[in-house]
Amino acid sequence: MGYLQDFEQKLSAECYQNEPPFCTAACPFGLDVKELVKKWKKGRFNAAYRTFQNTVGFPGIVAAACPHPCEEVCLRCGKDGAVSLHRLEQATLAHASRQNPNAYNMPSKGKRIAVIGAGISGLACTLFLSNKKYEVTVFEKSDRIGGRLWQELPPEVFLTDIERQFRHETYELRTNAEVRNLEELSDFDAIYIATGSQGEQFGLELSGSGACATGWPGVFLGGSVLGKDTIEALADGLVASRAVERYLKTGTMNHPSEQVDTKLCMDPASLEEVPSVVMAEGEIYTEKEAVFEAERCVLCSCDACMRECDLMRLFEKNPRRIYEEVYITIHPGTLSRDGTWATRLISTCSQCGLCKEVCPQRIDIGKFFLQSHQTMREKGAMPWVFHDYWLRDMYFSNGEASLCKVPPGTEGKTRYVFFPGCQMGASDPAYVERSYAWLRQMEPATGLWLHCCGAPAKWAGDRKLHEQATGAIREEWERLGKPELIFGCSTCRQMFDTHLPEISGSFLYEKMAAWGLEIDSIPADTYSVFDPCSSREYPELQQSIRQLAGAAGIVLDPLSHEGWNARCCGYGGQTQIAAPQYAREVAMDRTGEKESTYIAYCVNCRDTFAAQQKPAVHILDLVFGLRPADAQPPVLSERWENRRELKRRMLAELGEEIMAKEKKRILYIEEALKQKLSAGMILESDMEEVVDWCEETGHKLINPANGGFTGHKKIQNMTYWAEYRPEGDGFRLLNGYAHRMCLEEDLKCQEEK
Amino acid sequence: MSGREMICWRCQRKLEPKQTFFQYLGHTFHTDILCCPECGEVLIPEDLAKGRMAEVEQELEDK
Repeated sequence: MGYLQDFEQKLSAECYQNEPPFCTAACPFGLDVKELVKKWKKGRFNAAYRTFQNTVGFPGIVAAACPHPCEEVCLRCGKDGAVSLHRLEQATLAHASRQNPNAYNMPSKGKRIAVIGAGISGLACTLFLSNKKYEVTVFEKSDRIGGRLWQELPPEVFLTDIERQFRHETYELRTNAEVRNLEELSDFDAIYIATGSQGEQFGLELSGSGACATGWPGVFLGGSVLGKDTIEALADGLVASRAVERYLKTGTMNHPSEQVDTKLCMDPASLEEVPSVVMAEGEIYTEKEAVFEAERCVLCSCDACMRECDLMRLFEKNPRRIYEEVYITIHPGTLSRDGTWATRLISTCSQCGLCKEVCPQRIDIGKFFLQSHQTMREKGAMPWVFHDYWLRDMYFSNGEASLCKVPPGTEGKTRYVFFPGCQMGASDPAYVERSYAWLRQMEPATGLWLHCCGAPAKWAGDRKLHEQATGAIREEWERLGKPELIFGCSTCRQMFDTHLPEISGSFLYEKMAAWGLEIDSIPADTYSVFDPCSSREYPELQQSIRQLAGAAGIVLDPLSHEGWNARCCGYGGQTQIAAPQYAREVAMDRTGEKESTYIAYCVNCRDTFAAQQKPAVHILDLVFGLRPADAQPPVLSERWENRRELKRRMLAELGEEIMAKEKKRILYIEEALKQKLSAGMILESDMEEVVDWCEETGHKLINPANGGFTGHKKIQNMTYWAEYRPEGDGFRLLNGYAHRMCLEEDLKCQEEK
Repeated sequence: MSGREMICWRCQRKLEPKQTFFQYLGHTFHTDILCCPECGEVLIPEDLAKGRMAEVEQELEDK
């Protein structure tokens, strides 16, 4: 369970979500560009100016002189041109109406600092220290301030800015005052040497122990004297001011380097194209133009999981938010919210694994969800309804509908056993029958194993049940003589590879591609292969499907997510009950991508799409000429009946007859009602059980006006209601519905039994 | 269908509202439901099951 306990640490240490954007990392000042962009987008130029000034000290000089390395690394560079940050900075200066600094009336800190050099680096250090009311004296060997700015900018630009920023600050400026020896400054508490290009270093170098620190306590070095350009020198002066302040407060020279790095990885191809704003006139954006240009910024952050995972995208929850919601769910009472806050969210994860695939750090949120699910299940705090139906289906597959047989006379000699998975026969018994017949043509001793792989128990977070399910499979496989399995479902194979690695296997479709088979003519159409999420780890399987399609003369139109980043169809996990609307949205997103007919090789994908009226076939439909692309999927009850029927037929095939279970009463149900029951996850056998109970016990109500009966029965967890009336030799079901909460009387009755 | 026209099959009595207890996810609550005054046979019409009851179920699941 380590993943669950260590997840917060893992997120803090490894998740790139809070990595700075490329522009901030490239900026000598580490400017918080995203913060600025948010203000620009709202047209808040005064607020943007304040942020800009606070970070760079001299906004006028920076806007005019910065070579804007930010633009060279802008994500849009690789698409439609960088967001023009330098023009946005200039627009800020042009449109901000309040640019004068604020005056703060604070007492002097009583510490004296000497700054050597009145170039931009020395002035930047002076500005921030004097702003904090340190007493700064600037020694300048020439007769003017500004240093190399005189060669780079018009004096009205930099002198105006310097004058404005120092408006409320006082410092002592000594011009024509060359410092020859640091001993002269021994009565100062700290010194910043910013003597400019080719300037005096007084024999000192950077010590590496902290930002701008020399080996001499209290003496700092930075700016052009170290070969930096004007803007880097300015940034150095600001860093030096903070290093000096730390020294004065703590006596240490270890102010950390403020160099911002980023590990962000983003692909410009995913950007929507938005061309740069062209100025209508002049060289400065109008306010409107600036807003439009700012809107081109996508506020870069690592959001690979947020973009690709349906759950995170549609619920707008990032990994940190998910962690917090799940944490307070597992540990109720730790925060203000007390209760099972995120149980539905936990149960909505389809366990498709895409989050891990797309994460540059391979953080597995699905695994975190699964372990959270297990914890909640063990505490008995997960609502049973999210997993109830799927476990019923699993019990049915492993009980009434299960079969494990080898052809008579081949006991102990079986090399292969076909394991189609529980839902293949549920969708259409012919898929299993035809596939098995073909396998026996190729390898007559092949056995058949109709069983569930245990995925529902795993997804329900029920570790004990899951262990029992896998244990039973292992025992049966050993009894069969440890044959190689031929899988029809990639989820089954995934479950076996993870939990029963000793059982080797391959896919039916790989065998078909390798052994070869005749494929009848395929209806002319445009087709796309929809790889199921569980096929991601099996490229040979994905290839075999394309090979079979190719053999049938189909030219494929590829989907956006194929192969390594295959997505869930909307069926996976417990989503259909925990969040049915979400499951529909996911399915609609998948079906809406292309108009082509989808070729699925997971029956659940095929049936999910067909239920959305999307033309979709299973690869076996093409191989054996079975269902057409517009065939509606079976309703829930048919999925059960199909499995009973399949077992009967396959047993007959293998030389054993069983009779269909006789029903106590005939219940007639119209097609529309069958659909309604199926949508409500109600089995017709549940309705039959209610009617049987009512008729046998007399526990029912009658409507004298029409002779219709109404009655109910609690079956396991759910309470089912049937409205019906006698008809011919049986009964006609008029309506059926169910609820999750139960009547206390029914509970007592059930307990007594 | 209001349910008032329904008659208990066994007792042949008209249904009357009666306080009835429910349970879900460890919570117990009660409301007035149409019942047979003699044997207690209840009626929960579909609009109640799919309406207010489903809302409460969801609230408790998300609580």
